[in-house]
Amino acid sequence: MKKQDYKNMWVYIEHDGKTVSTVSLELCCEARKLCDVTGDKLVAVMVEGLPEAEVKKIRECAVDGLMVVSGTGYETYNNDAYTNLFTVLCQKYNPSAVFVGGTTNGRDFAPRFAARLNTGCTSDAIQVVYNPESGDIEFIEPAVGGKMMAVITVPVLRPQVGTIRPGTFKYEPTGEKANVEIIHETVNFDPAQSRTKLLKFVPEADDGSVNLAEEDVIVCIGNGVTGAEKLPKYQELAELLGGKVGGTRPMFDRGILPFKQMIGQSGVVVKPKLIISFGVSGAINHTAGIKDAGLFIAVNSDPEAAIFGVADYGIVGDMDEVCDLMIEALKAKQ
Amino acid sequence: MLKILVCVKQVPDVNLVKIDPVTGSLIRDGVPAIMNPLDGNALEAAVQLKETYGGEITAVTMGPDAAMSVLRECVSVGASKAILLSDYAFKDADTLSTSYTIEKGASMFGKYDIILCGKETLDGATGQMGSQLAERFNTSFVSSAALIEKVDEKAGTVTVLRETEYGEETVEAKLPVLMTIEKTNYQPRIPNFKGKKFARTFEITKLTSDTIEGLDKNKIGAPGSGTIVPRTYPPEKTASGVMIDEGDDKKNVAKVMEILADKGLV
Repeated sequence: MKKQDYKNMWVYIEHDGKTVSTVSLELCCEARKLCDVTGDKLVAVMVEGLPEAEVKKIRECAVDGLMVVSGTGYETYNNDAYTNLFTVLCQKYNPSAVFVGGTTNGRDFAPRFAARLNTGCTSDAIQVVYNPESGDIEFIEPAVGGKMMAVITVPVLRPQVGTIRPGTFKYEPTGEKANVEIIHETVNFDPAQSRTKLLKFVPEADDGSVNLAEEDVIVCIGNGVTGAEKLPKYQELAELLGGKVGGTRPMFDRGILPFKQMIGQSGVVVKPKLIISFGVSGAINHTAGIKDAGLFIAVNSDPEAAIFGVADYGIVGDMDEVCDLMIEALKAKQ
Repeated sequence: MLKILVCVKQVPDVNLVKIDPVTGSLIRDGVPAIMNPLDGNALEAAVQLKETYGGEITAVTMGPDAAMSVLRECVSVGASKAILLSDYAFKDADTLSTSYTIEKGASMFGKYDIILCGKETLDGATGQMGSQLAERFNTSFVSSAALIEKVDEKAGTVTVLRETEYGEETVEAKLPVLMTIEKTNYQPRIPNFKGKKFARTFEITKLTSDTIEGLDKNKIGAPGSGTIVPRTYPPEKTASGVMIDEGDDKKNVAKVMEILADKGLV
């Protein structure tokens, strides 16, 4: 089969039976634009069980088709079941592209079904562009720690599989189409064949005290922080400014901040009126999560740090000293 | 006895890589090559498993001869076999062909109960290798493993803690299993002098595309890759930042306070 014979673009709809994940909607909106160029149909692929009000949100992203899968094995996320599901469906329908939200689970199964189908998989694109000459989607993504941008394509094989991080694309629904084709599929996965089993799940403890996505002021700390003992000073500064502390991925990896306070592509996408970052180098995976911030001030001891190319104002200096001085200045104002 | 395989990669220390502002290409001169940091965590997890349950560790990498140094790091902390897959024919491999090549090479020396790797690399950062290696080795897969709580060889299972954006999961996976390892609980140990000395002269098994048994040469290197990189370019600067340089920190902070006051933010 030639690559031109593969038609339509799919978006995998991730949901927990109650709500549809925002990244799935974001991907529908972005894939819609691609399909408008290529003439492909946009099909949202989901496992059944999502309330009608949530399905409506998907329809409003102007999908042409809705594939609803029933069958055994999808009660909780499972690598084997989802790998099998997408392998079977792709072999039956031969889509040109499959987009999967770059969540922990999406990144868990998408590369695997791509390997099983023997096709190319890309991850973390921040832009997707159709190239009419080659007929391929160009997945544009940061490489080498964000120091350069790389264009990745799947030049021969199909489908073109891409996982894309939450918050990368905007959720801007353009309205429901008059005729949405509903496709029912049944794919059973025998639970006995499943090699992993979820024994226990403790939802992210959310006392509601920190929701960075809604904060107007954020003090963001990065790998320049010497240790957890320095955290209180940044919390004090955040409090004085009426905000909260967030951090980069290494802050989570080093156990200094919890997952929900991690800002960037793999964490929370924020849009505060003010963000002051300390000791953040400016890797694009992080800065992609703050692109809609208002005033952005960066403090870093390295004058070459990439963060200074992104921030509105930069200070070269010792992060702890500058923080102390800011606390002092704010206290003096009170 | 557990047979553990740890997959590692030598990468340029990207924090030290500079970009040629004109051509947009990488300047790698003088940039040290290091073991991919998260692979160090996977190695540490392998060593801890061996200490707790007994077993043997095999380390594998694909790369040029210079990549032997990361294998020696593995040997210095307890790996008893080290495999280098090195051939010009492996060049420009993406994760599809790399995962194929690694499975073919490593499987020449038996089957593995537990296969570990870092969850992504510094340079490629696709985070796809674990998932695709699990497919190649035909194992169960647990990504983002924060803590390996228990290995039950009799039952043929492993119990793993995962920390995800949804919450904390406890997952039971059947052996053989492939896990990608998180940083938090597996800080790499420093090898002792004896280990280092032993590793220095340790004989590394080197395999090429001709010596890996049953290798389909259409599935390796660039021809076996699903993806290509037609071009790269330097990132656009999204804002031209103004540097505040009033002479010292105190004056700089005073300036910031002025700016914040102007915008009504304090």
